[in-house]
Amino acid sequence: MAKNVDPLETMPVSRYAGLTRWGLRLIFAFLMLFLYLPIVFMVAFSFDASQTPSFPIQGPTLHWYDVMINNRQLLSAVGNTISVSLIVAVLATIIGTMAAFVLVRGRLRYPNGVRIAFTMPIMVPGVLIGISLLIFFSRAVHANLSLMTVIAGQLVVTVPFVVLIVASRLQSFDRKLEWAAADLGASPRRTLRHVVLPLIAPAILAGALICITLSIDEFVITWFTVGNQLTLPTYIYTKIKFGVTPEVNAVATVMLVATLLIFGIASVVLGRGRRRLPGRRRRAAIPPA
Amino acid sequence: MTAEVVGGVDVAPPTVASRGRTARLRELAPFLPAGLLLGVLFFVPLAVMFIFSLWTTNANLDIVPTWNLDNYAQFFQTGAYVRTLAKTVAMGAAVTTICLLFSLAVAYFLARYISRRWARVALLVIIVPFWSSYLLRVYSWQAILGEKGALNQVLMGLGLISEPSRLFVYNDIGTFIVLTYVYLPFAILVLYASLERFDYTQLTAAQDLGASPSRAFRYILLPQIRPGLITAAIFVFIPILGEFLTPSMVGGASGLLIANLIQTFFKNALVPQGAALGLLIVAFVTVLLIIFRKYLRVEDVYARG
Repeated sequence: MAKNVDPLETMPVSRYAGLTRWGLRLIFAFLMLFLYLPIVFMVAFSFDASQTPSFPIQGPTLHWYDVMINNRQLLSAVGNTISVSLIVAVLATIIGTMAAFVLVRGRLRYPNGVRIAFTMPIMVPGVLIGISLLIFFSRAVHANLSLMTVIAGQLVVTVPFVVLIVASRLQSFDRKLEWAAADLGASPRRTLRHVVLPLIAPAILAGALICITLSIDEFVITWFTVGNQLTLPTYIYTKIKFGVTPEVNAVATVMLVATLLIFGIASVVLGRGRRRLPGRRRRAAIPPA
Repeated sequence: MTAEVVGGVDVAPPTVASRGRTARLRELAPFLPAGLLLGVLFFVPLAVMFIFSLWTTNANLDIVPTWNLDNYAQFFQTGAYVRTLAKTVAMGAAVTTICLLFSLAVAYFLARYISRRWARVALLVIIVPFWSSYLLRVYSWQAILGEKGALNQVLMGLGLISEPSRLFVYNDIGTFIVLTYVYLPFAILVLYASLERFDYTQLTAAQDLGASPSRAFRYILLPQIRPGLITAAIFVFIPILGEFLTPSMVGGASGLLIANLIQTFFKNALVPQGAALGLLIVAFVTVLLIIFRKYLRVEDVYARG
């Protein structure tokens, strides 16, 4: 602490500085308790012998994991959820990235209006999107509700995320790099492939990951647009209605661990990739020609 | 800007004038899938819903095209509906206030008292709960707040109460606690982004000039993070207008909000009435979005996660 003291830090401080510091630490500790208590309970009850998530705790068991593995309905719901989320993520990423290019670089008539239009599906509560889609599918176009309508509904809320995230990255993108590539003889296609896409890849990846996480846990729109099939959230909902959730808690625990692993691996891989690429700061240090 | 040609390649971006109509169409083509998706699956369904809201149901619950605004008028003339709407707005305001205060403290702590590296780790830890099922996280609160729940056990163990309290769940308090739980992380992310950018030497300067710490905080820091505060407020308040799951799980019969009312209309096949109420909320949200359009940096909130 004694080394390299900022001269500003030696200013006389308020009598309450210590108190503030401890108060803020306490608030942070309370936050952690508040955020993690439900997760701890969810995980704990997946190992508890009791049928319903309530006290007293009856003792540890792996029974519900066994039930989970043998529950066909649950497994098909998980399968549906995973395939829907992958399809949604791939489609939303492609559609959204294409639109982001036009939003930033094309000469759209009303770019700000388009921006608000793409913000709306994110901000308008899901229940209203779900209900309007239900009316639209069942009373206007008479479409059969199925996983296809679920995918369509989820695309409405995921594409805007990709558009906005990729557009924001494109906006901060230095176009001189592209002109340099063209100057050196690269065709537009090559420039896109070797210069533009690698530089906006983190944004595209972030968009895709957000799509997957949103889609896997999407309940409201799915609930209104799904037919006979079950997805994991709709299955969980029907179980919660009856108050019996141990094997659902087990699935949620497995999925939480899986997500943590995927994100852990992704961040390690990305971290390495980022270190190899020249950082934005270093690029800015080169004086413009 | 004239396009110089070096080795057959355009150096500078071509101007609009150098392009024809087909070129412009080609330029806009990649936008089509997203534009169509948004139009056909978002705006058209809302338009269809608007048409339904002008119609009515007869005694057999068949929908009759009548073309009037009766459903809207009826909503505002029914005391119970208006009270539910007022309660939803009050609940939203209360949750937004507590979220802003709580997250201001947390974000200030992260930005000012610990290193940037650890602050980022802390933010990640704050987001992780979002990677597990929303439904189960809300449902778990029943085991915490319920009559036989953990909170009652702890309070009884401490001797603060002698018998289990039913105060915490299946009422507005339960809804309030759980909604705060659900939306707090968004507020923290937004406020941390503004507090991280703030130059804290300004506070020192203010104090150097004789301001008390609280005065410096109020007149120097708060005005500069106002965009962040507004963004955070929007990200908490607007979703609450559409919350029906949390109230239905922990709110009990008395804790229901406006979106539960919409759902009830549809469950009872009163499509026009439900459509009218739904559109009122969409209109309200749209007005908020247009007023506060400057502050809506959705990508800043989510791209960190």
